[in-house]
Amino acid sequence: MTAQRPINDGSSEFCGNPFSTRYTQPGRITPMDRFGRPLNLHGILASLAELGGTAAIQGPHGSGKTTLLEHLACALQHRGVCVVRVRLRGMSDALKALLAIAQSPPSGIVCIDSWEQMGRLLSSLARGLAWVRGCHVLVTSHRVTGLPLLIDCQTSHPLLVAIVRQLPSHEIWHGQRIAAADVEEAFEQCGGNMRESLYHLYDRFERHGREVPDMPVMPAVSIVPLRSMKFMKPFGIFFAPRYPSTT
Amino acid sequence: MNDAAATTNGDMKGLARVSRAIAAASPALAGATASPRVVLQFDHTSRIYQPHESLGVRYRIEGIDDEKVRAVERSAVWYTEGKGEEDLEAHFFERLFGQDAVATAVPDGSFAIVLPTSPLSYEGVIVKVRWCVRVRIFFEGGKDFVSEHVFEVGQIPPARNRREPLA
Amino acid sequence: MKLPRFFGKKRGHRRTGSQAWGSFGEGLFYAVLLVSGFVFGGLVLSGTVAYSPTDPDTVVLQHGYDWWMWLLTLLLPGALVAFGGSGVMRVIRVWGKSEEHRAASMGLSELLDTMGQAAQDAPGHPGVPTCENLVNSPGTILRYRLPLESAENWTLIGFGLFALLWNAFVLVLAVGAGLDLLSGKTDWILFMVLVPFVAVGIGGIVVFVWTFVLATAVGPTQLEISDHPLVPGGSYDVLLGQAGTGRFRTLEVFLEVEELATFRQGTDTRTERLVVWRERVKEWHDVELAPGGRFESHFMIDIPADAMHSFVSKHNSVHWRIVLRGLSESRPAFTRIFPLVVFPLSAPSVRPPVHSAWQVSP
Repeated sequence: MTAQRPINDGSSEFCGNPFSTRYTQPGRITPMDRFGRPLNLHGILASLAELGGTAAIQGPHGSGKTTLLEHLACALQHRGVCVVRVRLRGMSDALKALLAIAQSPPSGIVCIDSWEQMGRLLSSLARGLAWVRGCHVLVTSHRVTGLPLLIDCQTSHPLLVAIVRQLPSHEIWHGQRIAAADVEEAFEQCGGNMRESLYHLYDRFERHGREVPDMPVMPAVSIVPLRSMKFMKPFGIFFAPRYPSTT
Repeated sequence: MNDAAATTNGDMKGLARVSRAIAAASPALAGATASPRVVLQFDHTSRIYQPHESLGVRYRIEGIDDEKVRAVERSAVWYTEGKGEEDLEAHFFERLFGQDAVATAVPDGSFAIVLPTSPLSYEGVIVKVRWCVRVRIFFEGGKDFVSEHVFEVGQIPPARNRREPLA
Repeated sequence: MKLPRFFGKKRGHRRTGSQAWGSFGEGLFYAVLLVSGFVFGGLVLSGTVAYSPTDPDTVVLQHGYDWWMWLLTLLLPGALVAFGGSGVMRVIRVWGKSEEHRAASMGLSELLDTMGQAAQDAPGHPGVPTCENLVNSPGTILRYRLPLESAENWTLIGFGLFALLWNAFVLVLAVGAGLDLLSGKTDWILFMVLVPFVAVGIGGIVVFVWTFVLATAVGPTQLEISDHPLVPGGSYDVLLGQAGTGRFRTLEVFLEVEELATFRQGTDTRTERLVVWRERVKEWHDVELAPGGRFESHFMIDIPADAMHSFVSKHNSVHWRIVLRGLSESRPAFTRIFPLVVFPLSAPSVRPPVHSAWQVSP
């Protein structure tokens, strides 16, 4: 039985862009430290426990805070911890966060993305409410929050290189459509913002693909959702680059 | 770091205990069972179809010898890819559960569908539309595995490959 | 389904907990919001009710608060009910379902889909936008008159709506304050609130008037087309009518395809637009318009046989459009956009229409 056409036989008709949001959105990429090494999520969860369960993930825009928060939330959910996710887009969402804390069970965790949107008064209120309820908050912020610091996300060029290395079929297009110099240029042009750098590389990949149409094309990629990755790794939260569903 | 003096919640201590237990057990997990995989064949070897055309697939699921399958889902979906958030819509979806039904789909199975008029597969610049067949397997214990196989509907040439460059 | 355990053990590669229970908190959260809204609203309303001390069987209303305080107070429970109710329905809909299962059941539950995604698809053409709004206006010479869609229009409408609604609200507050003043009651809190509201209202009117002047500096543009929706391989008559006075240095008509992608992450909503194909259909230079006159021209547009059809989904879309760009002597450059919808060819044997002569509209 023949399966999907094998990789790089020259007849595949699909040209996926590995920098699509499909492959780079929070939850798809293994969280890593500023040197591009995978984070020890066990250690982070242990630190969270030692801090009492309430902490902040800090870092500048596009430094992977939301990605890490998503991985930690999934890991906690897999352990049966009651997790509520709240994403703040403005002060008007503060009520959502307060109500989530008010209704969370004592053993629960409220994961709040963009804690800085709360403002000083509301964030103090939220912290007090969490203490009264006996629940915990795990937040992301690009400012100092006053909460115990769980991890300070910083970006670097090696981190971007490591992220790019995780993307689908990296061995096919790297060095041809996207060179190491492109990655470095993206990092510098976007001021270290990982998200913007990936968008920049998306555009570059597209431009290059349309200028040189005879470059080897990418095969279709199998996507493995987060919760299925436990077949590859102990905790199912590291991104398994690909399951080839081909023979 | 702020040395919080808050009362340590019993569950968080339990979480820490579990974390340490898992860390200790990690070496034992290195020899875990091999990953499952789905080998799938389309009735068109080119994997290119036209709207309203019939699409047939046959597949075989491998690497699940000692796992008990609770349910199988088979679907044909289109999704967007590019710079925007991913949108997805199922044209065909079938869920098989129960021993008898699952036996018809695992480890070998097949199905055929008629493709709709739209949307066609599209290789745009910041928006792409793709079609795929997915086979998702649910195991006892709550874990699942999904395999995705892309095919093409219509033959729209990639964008920015047309008459004249942008003015 | 296994019972929740707030810490679980791992045995090999299995986990003993169920992820579904981890999402239980989310459903509980929305349910409590919903109940809170009803309870809070009930308490607020019941606080107005009291029993007459002389006749316990008679209920009387207590007027403890000003009318505008009522309006503001009931907004909160209303928001809780709306937010909690929609959240509960969403959690129920997606509980324990895979991504494909959720996508498949969306078609069965349009009523629960608050975004109304399914309603924008043309019947029988999933992912293709409906063109109902584009074919409800007959042309004078050709079959259809296309509506105008341009940023300046939306800006003008936006400013106008804002000025209207804001000033209506300010008027209501001002009348209430005036009546209170006439009755000898001075509500200083209300007056303090009114001052910035009035300032914003006046600013809104000024901005709207300025935008209106700019938008009407160039006369209206009318575009008619011989058929709609369009199909790949088809040729269509187009009639352009441009009113106004003065001289246009250039007028250009383009046929364009634009992609639009929206992505959210954290507090950022990123929307990117990109024109991926453009064909200059027609171009004129030094067009002179006499007062009361109108420039008219008839031309053809061709949709390539292998063109992508119009596409729309929640965060992504592919649009076709006719764009008129003009540069006049004494006014700023203007752009007028007329949306089109291109359907996919329903079957290979269907030939696309060719309209090579003037069509008389019904």
